[in-house]
Amino acid sequence: MNSIIDKVAQCLVTAGSTFREDQKEAYCRAIAQEPGTSSCWVMQQVLDNALVAEKNRGPLCDDTGIPHLFLEVGPNHQVTGELIEQIHAGVEKGLRELPGRPMAIMGDDSQRLDQSGGLNPDSGALAPSPMIIKSVKEDVLRLTVLMLGGGPAIRGITQRVFHKHSVEVVIDEIVNRAIPAVSQLGCSPCTLAIGIGRSQFEATSLMMEAMAKGNYNEQTVFEQTVTAKVNESNTGALGLGGKTSVLATFAKVGPQRASGVRIVALRPCCCFEPRRASVLL
Amino acid sequence: MQKVIELTTPFCEEVISQLKVGDVVSISGYIFCGRDAVLPKIVKHATEGTLNEVNVDLQGSVIFHTAVSPAGVGPTSSNKLEIESSFEPLSKAGVKMHLGKGAIKSETVKALAENNAVFAIIPPVTALLESQTTDREVVCYPELGMEAFYRIKVTNYQAIIAAAKGKSIYE
Repeated sequence: MNSIIDKVAQCLVTAGSTFREDQKEAYCRAIAQEPGTSSCWVMQQVLDNALVAEKNRGPLCDDTGIPHLFLEVGPNHQVTGELIEQIHAGVEKGLRELPGRPMAIMGDDSQRLDQSGGLNPDSGALAPSPMIIKSVKEDVLRLTVLMLGGGPAIRGITQRVFHKHSVEVVIDEIVNRAIPAVSQLGCSPCTLAIGIGRSQFEATSLMMEAMAKGNYNEQTVFEQTVTAKVNESNTGALGLGGKTSVLATFAKVGPQRASGVRIVALRPCCCFEPRRASVLL
Repeated sequence: MQKVIELTTPFCEEVISQLKVGDVVSISGYIFCGRDAVLPKIVKHATEGTLNEVNVDLQGSVIFHTAVSPAGVGPTSSNKLEIESSFEPLSKAGVKMHLGKGAIKSETVKALAENNAVFAIIPPVTALLESQTTDREVVCYPELGMEAFYRIKVTNYQAIIAAAKGKSIYE
């Protein structure tokens, strides 16, 4: 398995089928916190599901998600048009192998909007979103594949916050947005992904980076505070009530504008997300 | 560990009448699958008395709100308009358990109770469900692809009773 196409394909299958160790540990901690409850039963089911999915290298969820790509480029590596084509071919191959749910809508602009052009039955026909490319000091060419489901996309919010020169104001506004989003999502416990930047584009890019790099065992004070405040809502797993509405928060704060506004991108990732895996190309 | 109540389809009236909110059940046997696209069509057949024309017998049945795709099965939100509006007419036509996820309206909870039917929530555990699913067949409306009306055979699908006897787990 040396070709870039095969590496990317296997990376996508891993992203769609496998919990990382820190993710499993987060579930074990949450389950231990509220034994015998409905929420505990749900979280144990989600964890059992992950073990079966990993063993079979099959989908964690029937909404297998839209592939999103995050490419880190070290000082001695190059990104060419050919490389990007090979990455896209790997995504196509991986979608067929997982298998991804057929979700490519066919037709012209209007037909794709009202879904009148039909559905392509080929799992591999699903185009990935535009790639985020970031230069890094580490001398690697590393691709992270993220599979983003529809439920969190419905409940995600990207909007400004007037910070009033206070981090607490920013946190409170995030929490105020996150609590109804988590409650409406249904497939909780969530992981909150947050990006804070100077524009909608930058904030969303930072949110994607937070999803690509976040770790359940390494939480900043900012992340811990958001998690704790949202968990006070007692939404619980699948909205059945309980201490764990949110397992963790993955936040990335970027450069900020010299003004009173911060742009916050927030995504309540579902109980399987961030579904991600990385591979060195 | 919560006690698990073993259930086999088709369900009789007495078994359903004993279920209460918060019970964890394990479902085995044949169940139907349908969601937004096909349920309004099944409701139309039920209200017009033409279910036999599409080879559907709903007596004592379970309807799982899911597509059946190569990726497997998993619950969609049952509070979507096309799905939640099917609860009452399909319960009247014999469905005993609606299986999905999400909070439903108090009117729907009441309608379920009036027809001795329940709503159960199943976590979106596709890999686990795939290992517990054997037969899959399209019953009607194959042109809807993965959203056709399916019948599948399942073993030990675990779910939690979310609405029964006029009460809801979300209250």
